[in-house]
Amino acid sequence: MVKAVKGNDSSVKQIILGLNERGQFIIEDLDDTHVFVDASCVEQLRADIDQILNENTYNAEEANK
Amino acid sequence: MNGVQVDSFRRRRDEGPIHDIGDHADQDIDEDFSGKLLVPKHATMDALARSHNFQRDSVSYIFGDHDYTWLALKQDHESRPLWITEDGHIILEGFSPIAEKAIDFLITIAEPVSRPSHIHEYKLTPYSLYAAVSVGLETEDIIEVLSRLSKVPVPESILGLIRDCTLSYGKVKLVLKHNRYFVESSHPDMLQKLLRDPVISGARITGEEDNSSNGMTGNGLLTNKAPNAKDLTIPGIKKDVADPNKAAGAAASANGATAPGNVPNGEEEIFAVVGLDREDDDGENDDVHSFEIDSSSVEIVKKRCNELDYPMLEEYDFRNDSVNPDLEIDLKPITVIRPYQEKSLSKMFGNGRARSGIIVLPCGAGKTLVGITAACTVKKSTLVLCTSSVSVLQWKQQFLLWSNIKPHQIALFTSDQKEKFLGSAGIVISTYSMVANTRNRSHDSQKMMNFLRSREWGFLLLDEVHVVPANMFRKVLTTIAAHAKLGLTATLVREDEKIDDLNFLIGPKLYEANWMDLASRGHIANVQCAEVWCPMTPEFYREYLRENSRKRTLLYVMNPNKFQACQYLIRYHEERGDKIIVFSDNVHALVAYARKLEKPFIYGETSQQERVRILQNFQYNPKINTIFLSKVGDTSIDLPEATCLIQVSSHYGSRRQEAQRLGRILRAKRRNDEGFNAFFYSLVSKDTQEMYYSTKRQQFLIDQGYAFKVITNLDGMDQEQDLVYSTHSEQMSLLQSVLLAQESAADLNEDVEPDLDDLTGNTTRRSGGGGGSVLSHMGSSIAGGSNGAKRSVGGLRSLSGGDQMAYVEYNKAISLKDDKKNRGERHVLFKKHYGKK
Repeated sequence: MVKAVKGNDSSVKQIILGLNERGQFIIEDLDDTHVFVDASCVEQLRADIDQILNENTYNAEEANK
Repeated sequence: MNGVQVDSFRRRRDEGPIHDIGDHADQDIDEDFSGKLLVPKHATMDALARSHNFQRDSVSYIFGDHDYTWLALKQDHESRPLWITEDGHIILEGFSPIAEKAIDFLITIAEPVSRPSHIHEYKLTPYSLYAAVSVGLETEDIIEVLSRLSKVPVPESILGLIRDCTLSYGKVKLVLKHNRYFVESSHPDMLQKLLRDPVISGARITGEEDNSSNGMTGNGLLTNKAPNAKDLTIPGIKKDVADPNKAAGAAASANGATAPGNVPNGEEEIFAVVGLDREDDDGENDDVHSFEIDSSSVEIVKKRCNELDYPMLEEYDFRNDSVNPDLEIDLKPITVIRPYQEKSLSKMFGNGRARSGIIVLPCGAGKTLVGITAACTVKKSTLVLCTSSVSVLQWKQQFLLWSNIKPHQIALFTSDQKEKFLGSAGIVISTYSMVANTRNRSHDSQKMMNFLRSREWGFLLLDEVHVVPANMFRKVLTTIAAHAKLGLTATLVREDEKIDDLNFLIGPKLYEANWMDLASRGHIANVQCAEVWCPMTPEFYREYLRENSRKRTLLYVMNPNKFQACQYLIRYHEERGDKIIVFSDNVHALVAYARKLEKPFIYGETSQQERVRILQNFQYNPKINTIFLSKVGDTSIDLPEATCLIQVSSHYGSRRQEAQRLGRILRAKRRNDEGFNAFFYSLVSKDTQEMYYSTKRQQFLIDQGYAFKVITNLDGMDQEQDLVYSTHSEQMSLLQSVLLAQESAADLNEDVEPDLDDLTGNTTRRSGGGGGSVLSHMGSSIAGGSNGAKRSVGGLRSLSGGDQMAYVEYNKAISLKDDKKNRGERHVLFKKHYGKK
């Protein structure tokens, strides 16, 4: 089972490519903003991307705790 | 809901500005100093919110613990401007008709947390209450005004906090009068209590008090009239001394300002509105009681009083100081003081004596003039301490500009200059590190130090107090005998959270100006702040994800999209006629940007002559409208011509730096032009750590009421012709040069060297003319063209791979433009292998 991941952000694609180096799940690289990935990895992939992107977010509430 | 035992709660470093700063928290303090920082126990106390059972509605989850729907409003709540919560937060409606008066009151008793234009947030803390008491407010007055202003009944926990904190704070004063130290209080029973302590009574001097005009009362205490500001003149505010009250009124109406030299009147107005009768007003006949202590045991008594939980405020009765010679200094008649400067000074000299404390004014709002005016009021020998040798020169120049002091009365003490002033009194300007340094003194500076140490200083001015390490501060304050201390700062935030120490080392915060307020009155410029998001190019982002954190910095700074955004903004604002400063902390990027965009730049290695030349060109040459500055420009370079700032790279999450940089355009010359706006851009590479830092950096300014617009797409940039790095191959060669640069090129601090005089790493030129001529740089970069050779930063060692650099690896990453192609070329067997790696 495969699935195309839709995106509009080349940064996210770069993150995916980076993650792909750890465990291969990309089946085909379609274009600048699309890759074709293994569906079984999608959930994990989403979580990983969120985590990476969240590292760059400053949260005033948390910072004060 | 009532009966919260505030005393039993001792919170540690949880939230808000309250921190436990007990001895143990400061382990790096030298032995000698550990005893000096004794904080009264109430300082660790905080009002605590309790959980409440109430009906939560659909939006409650957003507010979490800050859902206050259960608070019962008073009947006439609409006409009252504020809410008080159980944990000491005060929310004020900034649009209320009496908001201005309420703000005046709140700023005295609470710390401003956040002040956007319509809703303000304040927090009651033991420190702020300590400051309130120190300017003469009484417990019951505070409570009464608060309950009048509040829409909700003042919670019991807050009443408890106020009572506990104001009970003993500021009631006992250490006064230097006729060169003898007195412990003074308007509450004789407190003095009796103190005298029961063996340490204090041991230090007491009893004896013939014949030269004291007021006799002793039955309990053996001296009784005097309470001090007042009746015959005090703060220069530049009140010129007529003959009949102070009338003169004050006349002067006030003459120049349209209030006369803060006469504080009771000024404050009466404020508090009359909220219905408070200030005791000070009719309290002029109040008696104060005092006993004298031995000057050698002052430190011991101070320490003991802290232990007994009666911290002493320090006041200097400079008008009655006959031993220290007067200094002939006054403001020049043309010097005009702005209303907020008067207000801050009136807090300091409110009762005719000099209180020690801190005044907080935005950058560009004239802190220096406040300091100079204070010195002109005290009129005693003054020691000014600042952070770098450049500021030392600026202070001297400002003293000469605003006051009538003679040049020979000002002495400088830096690593280059060590002079003493002529005559019996004068001004010495030096840096913190010169005074605090104990090792490796030259003979000259040792002599100078002995001179500083040997005499009494009437007034100690501390510039930029927020940057000085607490330890250094203690050292300075214990080596210098000063009667009154005034700290000046723009940003009372420190990333190391040592602000609270300052309160007990110098004194309470006397005044904090509202940035938005000053901007709306035209004292500082209106600034539009914007954060421009620049997407990383795929290739740069790919490398970013792979690199270690140091190199990452360089990658996000050198992002070609950022280059273009910077170029576009410069072009846009130059066309509008703006003068632009571009800041980059990263020197590698600074040089790369400036050369690429063909603009002059200044950084640590730029020689002094070169700097002067560039700065003068920027000021007067209509063809030079943009300069690039490294950190050296953060504070000490004063350019009132600048109207636009672009920040390319900055020092991580430093809120102070952000505020200081903003300060560069706050005093823009054109600020009073109608509709004038200054611009402050931060260029941020999307999806990188820079986003995190950028948001953090902005927090301080946001709390001052500034709004940062986020620009995700610069309008018109895609239509712009001939932007740099617009082709893929140019971007690739840029990437290559970034990857080839040494790791150290990513460091932000390489521009700053440890310098004796320099604390902030702002200034001081380096010897050697590494910077070279800008114009020649510009020439070479033109000749080089866009694909021209980059000067690679590296020695033979790194070129030969000594720094663990392998060309092969980088080249591969670049040449394989996309993975698809890459995979196709790889053999199936190896493909598996690569994936696992």
